[in-house]
Amino acid sequence: MIKSVSAILACLLLYGILIIPFTHYLHNKPFVEKLGYVPSVAALKTIAANHKELVAASLVLKVLMYFGGLFDKSDGQITIPPDYMAMSRLLHGAVRLDPYNMDAYYFAQGFLTWDVKQFKIANELLDYGMKYRTWDWYLPFLAGFNSAFFLKDYAAASKYYQRAGELSGSDLSKLLAGRYMQESGQTELAMAYLTAMEKGERNPAVKKNYQIRLTAFREASRIEIARDRYLETQGALPSTVGQLVSEGLLLPPPRDPYGGQFYLEVDGKVATTSKYAFAGVKK
Amino acid sequence: MHHILKITLKGIFRDRVFQGIMVTACAFLLIPGIASLSMRQVTELSLTLSLSLISFIMLLLSVFLGGTSLWKDIERRYTFSVLGLPLSRQSYLLGRFGGTALFVLLAAVVLGIAAFGVVLYSSTLYPSERPIVWSTMAICILIDALKYILLIAVAFLFSTVSTSFFLPVFGTIATFLAGGVTQQVYEYIHSAASKDLSPLVKQIATGLYYLLPNFGAFDLKVNAIYGLPVPVEGLLLTLAYFVVYAGILLSLSSAIFMRREMK
Repeated sequence: MIKSVSAILACLLLYGILIIPFTHYLHNKPFVEKLGYVPSVAALKTIAANHKELVAASLVLKVLMYFGGLFDKSDGQITIPPDYMAMSRLLHGAVRLDPYNMDAYYFAQGFLTWDVKQFKIANELLDYGMKYRTWDWYLPFLAGFNSAFFLKDYAAASKYYQRAGELSGSDLSKLLAGRYMQESGQTELAMAYLTAMEKGERNPAVKKNYQIRLTAFREASRIEIARDRYLETQGALPSTVGQLVSEGLLLPPPRDPYGGQFYLEVDGKVATTSKYAFAGVKK
Repeated sequence: MHHILKITLKGIFRDRVFQGIMVTACAFLLIPGIASLSMRQVTELSLTLSLSLISFIMLLLSVFLGGTSLWKDIERRYTFSVLGLPLSRQSYLLGRFGGTALFVLLAAVVLGIAAFGVVLYSSTLYPSERPIVWSTMAICILIDALKYILLIAVAFLFSTVSTSFFLPVFGTIATFLAGGVTQQVYEYIHSAASKDLSPLVKQIATGLYYLLPNFGAFDLKVNAIYGLPVPVEGLLLTLAYFVVYAGILLSLSSAIFMRREMK
């Protein structure tokens, strides 16, 4: 009896000693390691048997947790570059298991466009989703934005927005289909899109992501307004953002939340060295 | 047969299997919390998790109750005393099967009610863009239960030829896994992607496709989760397939069990 009790006590003591470094190790495990690797979709389909929707949902949640973890640990700033390739692979796998999973399309749209600049892949994924989610206005709305803002394919954008408008009956998509299909309205288009996305977002990490991007575009919009006023008064385009600040047209000076520097291109277009992404800032 | 059916049901309750299910069903309480992690489909995720949990519990029930029921009786020599009564072996086997199948159906109803509650709660917290079609959800759970009843019939067939529980339990698990992918394999071997496959392999795969139960037809989760319409013709064909396939398995099991030597 005494031997057994001593053995139990010894094991409990060892467990107590071990559990703290063990938890610490898991808590600080590198992000990439945490995202891990998953088998091919063909293998997953076999293993999942009749639970494909569950496996798809778990893949999406895995990516969300991973991304949310990156944000939490760095207090709203991504300092460790996320493994976008693995994230994309997992989300593509998820929609092949469950082509109706909206979370996968929605989240993939978020990073495939702004961060990875894979606009065509993003639209191909959305096109794939549209074949299944035939009632959903969100997918053509997102694809329309990608076509107009990133791909400058205004004919395709108009078609997508038309479809989104028909499905939702909402005025926003119809408005976007007609009004913003020109180069000059790009910042306005981005702000309208980001405001709509941010408003409907519940996931804190993704919401924060939209808020940061929206702040950056609001700053760009301020510069555009100041630039136009400069053009009105001086009769010529300013060559730098600093000129607008020194003339008192742009106060306080604009700040890029991604850590980049705003500048004016030769044709007066507002741009930033960060390209509206943390990954765009060269260190 | 009715007596055996009742005794089987009573035996399952006496073994506290139902209490075990209720403990496992506590996992339903976690579903709204997990589902709230979704960005755009909280209700859909709670439906996915609820239906998968029900399916998982029914899988455990059919494998372990179906795979051990008959074997346990033979091992403990209950069959000697029971079959000494004016009762045919066939009635005994069908009674045992009926009791187990009825319990799985009962579990599906109880768990289904819990799932309805969970989905209703999740949908009030975060309303879904898609309508929740309660009738499709009920049909999905019922058809899923029929799939597991078919699996119990498979377990009984293995039990009639086996002298240990290894074949019924592991054979049933293997059949469950194979039955879930037969349709995919069939589609693959009849597509252009399989042109390099030898004709013999294709013939064997086709033969297995017709031999093994096709569980793919019993999966209506995607219809229930996203409120998609259930094709009536497909549903009727699935029900007919269930009746015929279960009939084949049970008549085969009865024939083997009648001839089985018990010492």
